Amino acid sequence: MLNLTIDDKQVTAPKNSTIYDAAKLNGIKIPILCHDKKLKPFGACRMCLVEVEQMKGRQIPACTTPVTEGMIIRTATPDIIKARKMVLELLLLNHPIDCPICDKAGDCDLQNLTYEYKVDANRFTDEKFQHEIDYNNPLIERDMNRCVLCGKCARICDEIVGFGALTFISRGIETKIGCEFDEALNCEFCGSCVSVCPVGSLLARPFKFKARFWSLTKQKSVCGYCGTGCNLTLGVKDNKVLTTLYDENQGFHNGQLCCRGRFGYQFINSDKRLTKPLVRKNGVLVESTWDEALDAVAARLKGAGSSVAALATPRLTNEELLLFKKLMVASGSNNFDHSAGYAHAALTAGFARSFGSTAAPSTILDIQKSSLLLVIKTDAYETHPVVGFEINMAVKNREARLSILSDKRGKLSKLPDAKTLVHVPGTEIAVLNSLARIILDDKLTVDSAAALPGYAELVSSLAPFTPEAVESQSGISAADLRQLATTYATTEKALIIFPIGQAYPGHNAALATAVANLAILTGKLGTEGAGVLCLSEKNNSQGAVDMGFYPVDGGSDASLILDGCSAGSIKTLFVAGENPLISYPDHARVKSALDKVECLIVSDLFLTETAAMADVVLPACSFAEKEGTFTATDRRIQHIKPAIRKVGQSRSDFDIFSALITRLGGEAPATPSALFAEIAASVPGYAGMSYITLGEEGSFAPVEVKPVLTAATAATMPACAAGTFALLTGSALYHNGTLSQYGEGPMHVCPEGYLEISRGDAATMKIGENDLLTVTSDTGNMKLKARITPRMPQGVVFTPYHFSGNPVNRIWSGAAVTGVTLAK
Amino acid sequence: MSEVVAQQAEEEEVVVDLAIADKVIDKYIDIPGNLMPVLQGVQDEYGYVPRVVAEHVAERLNVYPSQIYGVLTFYAQFHLKPRGRFIIRVCVGTACHVQGATRIVETFFDKLHIGHAETTPDLRYTFEKVACLGACGMAPLAMVNDATYGGMTVQKVDEIVTDYNQRPI
Repeated sequence: MLNLTIDDKQVTAPKNSTIYDAAKLNGIKIPILCHDKKLKPFGACRMCLVEVEQMKGRQIPACTTPVTEGMIIRTATPDIIKARKMVLELLLLNHPIDCPICDKAGDCDLQNLTYEYKVDANRFTDEKFQHEIDYNNPLIERDMNRCVLCGKCARICDEIVGFGALTFISRGIETKIGCEFDEALNCEFCGSCVSVCPVGSLLARPFKFKARFWSLTKQKSVCGYCGTGCNLTLGVKDNKVLTTLYDENQGFHNGQLCCRGRFGYQFINSDKRLTKPLVRKNGVLVESTWDEALDAVAARLKGAGSSVAALATPRLTNEELLLFKKLMVASGSNNFDHSAGYAHAALTAGFARSFGSTAAPSTILDIQKSSLLLVIKTDAYETHPVVGFEINMAVKNREARLSILSDKRGKLSKLPDAKTLVHVPGTEIAVLNSLARIILDDKLTVDSAAALPGYAELVSSLAPFTPEAVESQSGISAADLRQLATTYATTEKALIIFPIGQAYPGHNAALATAVANLAILTGKLGTEGAGVLCLSEKNNSQGAVDMGFYPVDGGSDASLILDGCSAGSIKTLFVAGENPLISYPDHARVKSALDKVECLIVSDLFLTETAAMADVVLPACSFAEKEGTFTATDRRIQHIKPAIRKVGQSRSDFDIFSALITRLGGEAPATPSALFAEIAASVPGYAGMSYITLGEEGSFAPVEVKPVLTAATAATMPACAAGTFALLTGSALYHNGTLSQYGEGPMHVCPEGYLEISRGDAATMKIGENDLLTVTSDTGNMKLKARITPRMPQGVVFTPYHFSGNPVNRIWSGAAVTGVTLAK
Repeated sequence: MSEVVAQQAEEEEVVVDLAIADKVIDKYIDIPGNLMPVLQGVQDEYGYVPRVVAEHVAERLNVYPSQIYGVLTFYAQFHLKPRGRFIIRVCVGTACHVQGATRIVETFFDKLHIGHAETTPDLRYTFEKVACLGACGMAPLAMVNDATYGGMTVQKVDEIVTDYNQRPI
């Protein structure tokens, strides 16, 4: 710590901090336009000028000047005030004073500073800018006439997002922020640039003219899409969520969000929301009362035993999932599961075996402490964009090394010095096993490894996985495998990251085991910045696992439940929030199961394809309307509170399950808070937590690891026949599950499925961009538009799975890799 | 893609041999800070930096296309449109101005039917007004590519244009 004097106050500040940081730390406010907590100092706006006695009273920018011992700083002398006023006058020379129609008014740094410094006249005159406003996309409006050239948008797009859509173009007075060739913005639409813009140059179009900033009620919440657990601030007016607001102090991610988090909130107040219960009468779903609907459901559940089954979405709160489980137990059934059954197997089967725990041992915070990130599948960026930001920052700011094992390239592959090893689809486990074998052969293991349970079995199971054998199988050279194994084993802080989810059937228990073996053999567990991080798909996927909402004690998993429906052994199926018809593999199979089951009950926000087949539809409510907790992928438990009243007559799943339990003669907990007390008392790691202790920050549930080495058996992948392409399924950057279809933002950017194909294959087959292709597999065919990209290897195609209109499960029956043919 | 952009992309459909750019890129690929020499190199080869080349450079050097555009628009030395075979530069610095550079410039405009920083449709000439060329003793001064013409007169403009009209492009 260094000692300094700021405005005659004796203060201390850490070495390496800037004058701006030191002042902020000590509660002294220095005005600034071009600074953001997570961005590197830039020194563009000159608002933060201060005087330093040792620098002969010159005016220097506080944001780029490091503090030194004994520095005497004055932040508000008459000269400084005068200088700042002139900076504002100069900025206002070109900036239009169109505040009455600017959505930024009230939240505008320039407006606020102009007010604060009482700049009520301008000594200079000049013309205003005459730039054309970019209205070419539906999400971000770019009005460069208002721009003050602070560069925050261009910097955040590079330093945090890693996309680089915006930059300074031209020079001198003609300088402006623009895209390549001064074209319309065409990017990932995460809106990070919008969040940091100090003026109204970059605005969220969906919020334009919806409300004045000061009329919004701000409610902190947690994003309801993926498992990253990003924190949100919802802007609410008249019981409607109108926007998401930026708060640089929120969460590990400092308020940064992805496209779906920032622009995908419209599902909350969508016109398509169900507002009343529906009951099927004479083959038609008609509106009913809650009592009628709940009585009908209770009658089906009462004493039904194992003829009843439940499928839930891991978007429900922990309290709801536990209560749903209790409802099933009260009905006498232990058939319940979520996410098609396999999407959590990496945790519930893989890690359970290898770590003795159904959670990954590392957290997202470890990314910033690690010196080697081994990412399995570049999709970690697409499934969890904000985790992608963290990876980008670790690589660029801390020079962490990045190795990627993937069946295709992606944005992560473009990061500085990233090493991408592209393998033949479906050979991940063989590749990981060969890394383990190299580590064993080269004696790179920790000394204690040999004493661990399962060591001998693992060693013998790895016999076939010589680097040479795996080279011929995976296409990654033995030399590359050796180099990666050595680098991984010899880097103390090495972290393995891999995504799991409904479209990633290959990321199963065996993959988790193979990953765990590497970490266990090389002693990467229990060290900060090292270990394994598994990215689960939905906002409460980890919670669903922690609440035990998967088959235990001989209950049926999702696949067996569907079989049971078809076979008649399951007569009542209660689906809460899932849309299996679209998101589960094999459309025909799911359809026939739902057709055959005697009674289908669905609780959902929308009349989904699955809900449309139901006998009783219960209108549920979104995360913005209820209280409860979500457990993020790294076991961060966060408390959410309602931001708006429930839409229509909708009820939270908590209320629905409570009412049903009461109808079955059981005793339901009074409030989510009361049920959380039970969770805290019974779920490992949650001990001592309550809504009060969770606060706004949330709390990590510790993961206790008992390492066991286990052979990871690679399922033998039937090679795709000659002339066929290997179809990979996965997540599109803009979507998450099927819910994001009801978010206008994601649908504007990515309204339909597509098929990514390599340039080489496209050229050979004379396929052009957006050509409609017929994709045929063993189970069916569908039409998808071609998207030609340099990231796909020859012979491999990729399609995202989220879209109801054209569900990919018509051609995909749950295999990690599906052989398909393409025709124009 | 907006309509305007699509239209521009269509206009841009000049056939460009990327192999030439690749040769330049290969020469510098392993050198840190290679963007400037690569862009200068490709401009030397093509005479300007065609859009497809800029995009190709972005992909191969792993630099954002926006950043490349930023560099190309920052430096006056880079050109995004095809340039004439003969670059005529007329000095309008102080000394040349006093010696009547304005008339020289206007005469060139009349003869070539183009203005400042424009190129004739046949790609024979590009005309530029420049600030000092550093040979004030020869004012008013003009240059055609590397050849210098001092003591310019209206008649000399005529002679230069007649001369260069006959040269192959």
